[in-house]
Amino acid sequence: MYLTLKLRVLIAVLILALLPLVVSAQAPGPDETTLIVAQSTDVTSLDPPQVGARPESNVVAHLFGNLYDIDVAGNITPSLAEDVRVSEDGTEYTFTLREGLTCHNGEPLTAEDVVYTFQRAADPELAFTGNTPGFVFSSMGYVDARVDGELEPTIIIDARNSIALGLITEVRIYCMDTYEAMTLEEAANNPVGSGPYRFVEWVRDDYLLMEKWDDYALFDPDTFEQIVWRVIPEASTRVAELIAGNVDIITNVLPDQHDAVNNSGVAEIQAVQGFRRIFIGFNFTDNVEGLPGAEEVQDPAVRVALQYAVDVPTICAARLGVECERANGMVNAPNNHPELEPYPYDPEQAEALLDEAGYPRDENGVRFEMILQGGRNRYLNDEAVILTICQYLDDIGVQTDCQIQDFNTEFIPALVSQQAGPMYFVGSGGGNWNPLYEMADLAGTDSNPNYGRWFNEEWFSSWDRLAEVGNPEEEREIVLNMLEIFYNDPPWLMLYFQPDFYGVSTRLAWEGRRDEKLYVQDATLR
Amino acid sequence: MGIYLTRRLLQSLLVVFGVTLVTFLTLHLAGDPTYLYVSDRASDEEIAEIRTRLGFDRPLTEQYIQFMTNVARGDFGNSLVSRTPAMDLILERLPATLELTIFAMVFALSLSIPIGIISATRRGTVTDGGVMLFAIFGQSVPSFWLGIMLILIVGLQWRILPISGHVPLLDPLLAGDLSTFVNNIPEAIRHLIMPGITIGVFSLSRNARLVRSAMLEVQSQDYIRTARAKGLRDRLVITRHALRNALLPLVTIIGLELGFLLSGVVVVETVFSWPGVGRLVFNSINQRDIPVVQAAVIVFSFMFVASNLIVDLLYTRLDPRVRLH
Repeated sequence: MYLTLKLRVLIAVLILALLPLVVSAQAPGPDETTLIVAQSTDVTSLDPPQVGARPESNVVAHLFGNLYDIDVAGNITPSLAEDVRVSEDGTEYTFTLREGLTCHNGEPLTAEDVVYTFQRAADPELAFTGNTPGFVFSSMGYVDARVDGELEPTIIIDARNSIALGLITEVRIYCMDTYEAMTLEEAANNPVGSGPYRFVEWVRDDYLLMEKWDDYALFDPDTFEQIVWRVIPEASTRVAELIAGNVDIITNVLPDQHDAVNNSGVAEIQAVQGFRRIFIGFNFTDNVEGLPGAEEVQDPAVRVALQYAVDVPTICAARLGVECERANGMVNAPNNHPELEPYPYDPEQAEALLDEAGYPRDENGVRFEMILQGGRNRYLNDEAVILTICQYLDDIGVQTDCQIQDFNTEFIPALVSQQAGPMYFVGSGGGNWNPLYEMADLAGTDSNPNYGRWFNEEWFSSWDRLAEVGNPEEEREIVLNMLEIFYNDPPWLMLYFQPDFYGVSTRLAWEGRRDEKLYVQDATLR
Repeated sequence: MGIYLTRRLLQSLLVVFGVTLVTFLTLHLAGDPTYLYVSDRASDEEIAEIRTRLGFDRPLTEQYIQFMTNVARGDFGNSLVSRTPAMDLILERLPATLELTIFAMVFALSLSIPIGIISATRRGTVTDGGVMLFAIFGQSVPSFWLGIMLILIVGLQWRILPISGHVPLLDPLLAGDLSTFVNNIPEAIRHLIMPGITIGVFSLSRNARLVRSAMLEVQSQDYIRTARAKGLRDRLVITRHALRNALLPLVTIIGLELGFLLSGVVVVETVFSWPGVGRLVFNSINQRDIPVVQAAVIVFSFMFVASNLIVDLLYTRLDPRVRLH
């Protein structure tokens, strides 16, 4: 009896102890001064030259300013700098910084800080592997930087390059004295920025907190006092947190979750037509020699025929949950070729062209075999899209072995070492600020991201001509000609520009950008 | 006892060494890790330069010997991704994972023992059938699905528990910040309930079945019959005589439980956005951040080996017939 009583008391105590856990208020959500953004992955480093992936650069872009910026319309606009002069030969960009700029610890931001930022990123001793010393510097032909006046840094490049200024917008600026005193580890974990928000706290794999930096010269006073960047890897959990009102913006909402968000009454899906180009590349290298399809993709007539085999609008509607038009080339509107018609879905035409090219169906209905490789879980519904494309190719007699691999560990190493394919499914970031930025994917015959090592003499000689011309009209003429070459001797089977889906709280006035940059510093309450 | 402990510690070192070797080889067999540290726009020259810089161009044996030499000096190297000391990354996430595993263990043990006893003492009844049905469900339900269901029903529909996230408990305790520790307790427990149940439900079900079958076996023993013949109350027979012996197999399982729970945290930490070691290891394997994976493997191996050692020592307390040699 005594034991029973004790047990009863224990149960009562347990219930009483658990009661407040159950009836207490739910986890605090965003308030009027705090914006909460949830991304799928965490930042790995907050040192700008070490930053590579988009979720990292989204965070870093709020902490660090840039000299110029690219707005949603694709205009390159002043930011920390108010002006830029380009030397006659196009190899020197001299910026004029705004007066009174400081970094978040109060250190004045001057030309020597800008020069230090560029030189530090390029320093081989520091061995940075991020986007700035990698893609940005190699694409712009960065040589060096120098101080021409207290507020006048000059960036030197190796040759005239009409996308250099746009690439410079990617470089995030910080102060020399502060960073010289830091170890690499300190720089990676405790950034002292120059942007609209100041770093407060980072709990790895959990959240990063930043607060408004009132001294930021370009600041909009109506924006949120604090931004919390939460890491929520699982897509369903992100959606649940959004619907529960615990976060304001979520990224990468899967098509099958759109209805749940839109019917919640507290959030809605924002579908943004992104710039990212999704395509199938052809591998022309000896690395795939002997593999099914390797010989056939060398023939331009086959590559043109395959363009007619894939019903892109149906893929968009059925697999991505949006309407889309097929791209007519590698360049986004409005910089694309205005007169080229996207290849229509016409399997009969595809079959006729393959017959003409000397690849008739055999007694089993097969024209030739092909391998199509792609990575999993990198692009929107990529696996389903790849399988659908394989089916379309099968339908015209191209018996396709669909090989879907782990994106990071299998597909990317094969792609970068030119061993993917002979056909491979991949995406490449784009923009609307200069067509050459997008065409630079095929800037070299023996360098990535020309993963298939496509070669067309006229195309590649056009790059030399571009380096010599100084006026936009002439440059546009060359660009249009290059886009025609791309259309008629296709190195890619161009599919679509990938849509991006954001879940956005109805309390918020904010619009997603087409370039996948998650800039929320201008978000306000409705 | 001393000789036994020394021998077990040496064995443990061998186990840890073997695990690091297998991990190292597996990570390298999956291909050249250099490609994970270059932009997909990198040229062949850039790739070669980064391969040299990261030391991946050196022979595997040389890389491994260098790594183990550094480990012997307490240097686990820096993460190739974040450039932060690998062991720091592990240690700063370890408390969150320990909170989760401890909670899951407590949840599983505190419920599995009474459930197992009730089921055994009411063998063949509806209660017994219900318990066994639940045990089968608990062992077969995927933790990923269970986690999502809890989020949707308990977190989103009923809104009585937080959907995801973590409130630190061990961190302030280890830092000596007792007031924060105490203040955090209610919210920390609220955040622990759903992931803890998700990770612990398998163990709960398995342990309940184990306790039930052990109890059934023990109850048919002569000494139980003798105890009952002496007129002892049923409750005393069960708690003092039957349970103590029935728990021996459970103690063995508990030693292995830690390893099982640690392997299970990867999925649960992902579903509930729990900032623990499981997610770190998962991401590091994907990024082939070899120093972090190796450091984690060493920490996990030590924890696993240590928990098994403790269980072996506990055996001598629970069962006087067991002697350590």
